Amino acid sequence: MAATTVAQPGHDSADDVRARYENVDHAYHEQRENRLLGFLLFLVSDVILFSMFIFAYCYLRNSVPNWPPIVEGGRQLPRFDVNFAAFNSVVLFGSGATMHFAMESWKHQNRQGFFRWLIATIVLGIGFLGGQAYEYGSLAISWAGSTMGATFFTLTGMHGFHVFIGVIFLCVLGLQARSGVYTESKYFGLTAGTLYWHFVDVIWVALFFLFYLW
Amino acid sequence: MAQVSAPRKFSMGPYFWTVTAVMTFWNIASAIWIAVTPLDYLLPKSSLNVTDRGADIDFLFRFMSIFGNAILTYVTGYVIYFSIVFRRRRDEPANTVGPQIHDAPTLEFWWTLLPTLLVIALAVMSTRVWYLVQYGTGAPGFAVEVIGHQFNYEFRYPGLQGSVYNEMHLPLGRPVRVLVSSADVIHSFWVPEFRLKADTVPGLVQNLNFTPQVAGTYLIECTEFCGLNHSEMQARLVVDPPDKFQAWLDGQKAKAQAGASGSTTAVDLAQSDAGAGRTLFTQKCAACHSLGGFDEKKVGPGLGKVFVDKAHAKLVDGDDPTKANVAHIIENGYNGPLGAMPSAQQNGLSSKDVADVTAYLASLK
Amino acid sequence: MAVSSGAIHHDVEDHIHPEPEGFIRKYIFSIDHKVIAFQYFITGMVFFAIAGLLAELIRAQLLKPEGAIMSNAAYNGVYSMHGTAMVWMVIIPLVTGALGNFIMPLQIGARDVAFPWLNMLSFWIFPVAGAILFASFLVGAPDAGWTEYPPISLQGPPGTTLWCVAIFLIGISSTLTGLNFMVTVAKMRAPGMTWTRMPLFTWATFATALINMVATVALSGALLALFLERVFGVPFYDPARGGSPILWQHMFWFYSHPAVYIMILPAFGVISEVLPVFARKPIFGYRLIAFSSMAIAILGFAVWAHHMFTSGMAPWLQLPFMIMTMLIGIPTGVKIFSWLATVWGGRLHFSTAMLYAMGFLVTFTFGGITGVFLAAVPADLHEHGTYFVVAHFHYVVGGGAVMGFLAAVFFWFPKATGRLLDERMGKLGFWLFFIGLNGTFFPMHFLGLFGMPRRYATYVEFAKIFPMAQFWNIFESIMSLGMVAATGLLIFNVIYSLKWGKPSGINPWGARTLEWTISSPPPYYNFKKIPTVLGLPYNFDQPLPYRNLDNEQDAIPVPMTLAPPRTAVGV
Repeated sequence: MAATTVAQPGHDSADDVRARYENVDHAYHEQRENRLLGFLLFLVSDVILFSMFIFAYCYLRNSVPNWPPIVEGGRQLPRFDVNFAAFNSVVLFGSGATMHFAMESWKHQNRQGFFRWLIATIVLGIGFLGGQAYEYGSLAISWAGSTMGATFFTLTGMHGFHVFIGVIFLCVLGLQARSGVYTESKYFGLTAGTLYWHFVDVIWVALFFLFYLW
Repeated sequence: MAQVSAPRKFSMGPYFWTVTAVMTFWNIASAIWIAVTPLDYLLPKSSLNVTDRGADIDFLFRFMSIFGNAILTYVTGYVIYFSIVFRRRRDEPANTVGPQIHDAPTLEFWWTLLPTLLVIALAVMSTRVWYLVQYGTGAPGFAVEVIGHQFNYEFRYPGLQGSVYNEMHLPLGRPVRVLVSSADVIHSFWVPEFRLKADTVPGLVQNLNFTPQVAGTYLIECTEFCGLNHSEMQARLVVDPPDKFQAWLDGQKAKAQAGASGSTTAVDLAQSDAGAGRTLFTQKCAACHSLGGFDEKKVGPGLGKVFVDKAHAKLVDGDDPTKANVAHIIENGYNGPLGAMPSAQQNGLSSKDVADVTAYLASLK
Repeated sequence: MAVSSGAIHHDVEDHIHPEPEGFIRKYIFSIDHKVIAFQYFITGMVFFAIAGLLAELIRAQLLKPEGAIMSNAAYNGVYSMHGTAMVWMVIIPLVTGALGNFIMPLQIGARDVAFPWLNMLSFWIFPVAGAILFASFLVGAPDAGWTEYPPISLQGPPGTTLWCVAIFLIGISSTLTGLNFMVTVAKMRAPGMTWTRMPLFTWATFATALINMVATVALSGALLALFLERVFGVPFYDPARGGSPILWQHMFWFYSHPAVYIMILPAFGVISEVLPVFARKPIFGYRLIAFSSMAIAILGFAVWAHHMFTSGMAPWLQLPFMIMTMLIGIPTGVKIFSWLATVWGGRLHFSTAMLYAMGFLVTFTFGGITGVFLAAVPADLHEHGTYFVVAHFHYVVGGGAVMGFLAAVFFWFPKATGRLLDERMGKLGFWLFFIGLNGTFFPMHFLGLFGMPRRYATYVEFAKIFPMAQFWNIFESIMSLGMVAATGLLIFNVIYSLKWGKPSGINPWGARTLEWTISSPPPYYNFKKIPTVLGLPYNFDQPLPYRNLDNEQDAIPVPMTLAPPRTAVGV
């Protein structure tokens, strides 16, 4: 929008400025509302996707008398190790906190702070993924060997994939913020990134409970 | 402003009440007819009450038909009536409008309430029949297992060592519990005359509880797609009076003890009938085997030249192509690199049948 | 969601983006919802023709009890692809992608949907998914029906894996469209258009978009698991490895039942628009119809297991699903009565669109009634998996969704192209379709009740217990040619009328929703000035309830006198 929001002395009345300001901001505001609703609905649909696999896990778990299940050869599969996963979870939830601080910094026009907290978030996210890779490597169960493996690897794999996409998303946002795409009043991309990152955290809360605590 | 039709005393339309009365009369008359008429042209053997649940289930059909017919009559009737009576007259301007009515709360109340009451009545009635069908009355009956295979049914009886294929027998007048399951994929067990159906699912067992009340032979059909020959997966169900049933069961037990899978003897082969074999081939074998050369495969190789094919001098199990060896394969089935063929017993072929089919194949040049 | 505060800039001709230039930007990779709608229409009609041809192959096969023209293997692929294509590559894209895209933004006074680029992406996934689906014929078509129950679908031909991929892709397209439409309706209505002043087709689109967005993802989950099991052996459904075939059925039907409401709700919306216009009366019971659409959308998520009464799920589950399914018939019945009351007392113009709408009332009601027959568990235990079910769903989809869609084509084609479709061809097509539909699917009820299972390539045993089996199958096959002829006629009509149709003008039908206040076809920006909405668009004896229209049309729109005559038969 070419119109400025600053009164030019001798030219504009306060009313003119207000009109132009409302014009400019109103259009942006409308667009932002649309995008926000659209992004939230997208997250809702993603929650449903995870819910379906969570339903499958609960259903399959319920349909056998033993859990972990007993596979061919009569051996019962081992339970998952809570401790390492708990540590990894702290890493992920920590990244949620750092993302929150990043947003707060941006809203208070603290660009330095924003970039520091954003990088911390990305590092913690990558750390979480590394932790997951380590856990995958150290597990005795396989993806295709049992329904336990099937549900665990599929669900945590989907989640890990979402974290991976999230990391890329945050990197892109960081680059965009550096090149001035966002201002102190227009930063929808950052809001979307934060919402996505928190969504990934919430899903992990559910998965941690379902696989490690239950 | 548009021209509204000239105001007149409110009327539902010319002959509206007459038409409504005619439809109502038709509905009442057809309701009475549906309530009392035998439904045998609609639901097989309805008037015989083939099982103890049959009357209740068919009554539910009657109830639904009565009200379905009524609703459909009114809707179709009014659509036709309105189309005739309310069509725009040629002499009226094109933008003549009808009465600009948006709502009629009383009418809407009644036409919401009445269907709701109808649905509640149907729900109550259905729940009652559902409960009877699902949970039966009294103690669990005589248990028979049905196991679905691709593409035949296996029946197992208490006290019987082996299994019976293709023909299920049940005792007349005794409560029966049919336990259905599957050995491979989902099939279904349905006897149309019984109105009862249960999918045969691998890994779980479903029950059907009923008492057969009419002796006779019925058709069991598979109604859940199960693969190539789903359309050919049927069996017979024979309901016998108790003494006949017991005799049959005893006969099955005796056969099991004698090694019922039997072997096609040389006597059978000598007395075989190629003509009967041809019919059997069409019924039992043609789904998977063509009558062309070995390479004209359907599911299994073509059998038209099995005795004379120079390019395939041995049979699929490595034996020479003699009548006895061919009969042996048909008798015992095949499981190997070319696939899997059920045994004669699974295919419902007796020793004589096997001999007949062998003779037929031998007659082909 | 009332009048926006920014009334200032709505009077100004801003927010109009420059017109796209070049053939590619205008017609191939267009972000204009109207162009996208047309693209959906063409692609959907092509797939409709292919799926219809597959149907005729089915009818040809069933001319003889032992199967007339093909092997079991071929038949299994043909009927599976017919069902799959019709549900996902024809009906859903046509009613949401074609109708929803074209009509809804115009009806709410918007210049496009909320996310035009996403809309374009949603469309382009569609032909790709369709191509992948039909490519499965080359490697062995999926053969276990459009429902692909495991374990048989785990064994199926390689095409089954392609089927998973194709449907997963079209699911993404559907979900994005649903999301897009929800935001558009929620946020981009013209000033003054409150929720209770929205046209009923828009209500229907909103309800459909809700289902689309929520349910389709559920199917994606089921498909992903099936794909993983087929390709990588990951056990979800195979009981030999701890999986459950019933799990698939729950996941599949949790989507697929709401999917049938995706197919029918837009058709309901079309009927609600067409009947008032051609009866010159307001829609009767606007609020009831609007709210019952939402009720059906939400309740539709609670009835899925009525497809599973014989499946072996826990028996007690049958009861709540039976009750819920019966209850959902009530809002639907109320709608039928409201539509009848709309027609009562009107001044009926029997255009082709009106014929399809009136025909819909009959065939959809009949399909709805047989649905109640299926809802009652003791009856369903007999009817499940037989031709009774096939008859039911063809009545509600063919006699419901398709007829509603055809009514929409005849109604909105003039708006989209500026030309009328030929009415004589249209009416002939209607009668061919109506008679063909009823002739093909009515006898199936009786065949099913008497014992003819579905998905049978041959019916030799059934023919032994029901001697008229072959006669009725031949009868059905002959009658199905009526629908073929009608489709051919429609395609010819569309092509012919694009070039030589009578010019329609802005408002040939004398309708009152916003799309009829702009030119036919609309300019790329739809509305130069976004109008203000003052009331419902269903009063035919009042001025239009809008301010600030592009074309000054304060007079009541006058419908064309449709030559020739005004009886339903066309005589």
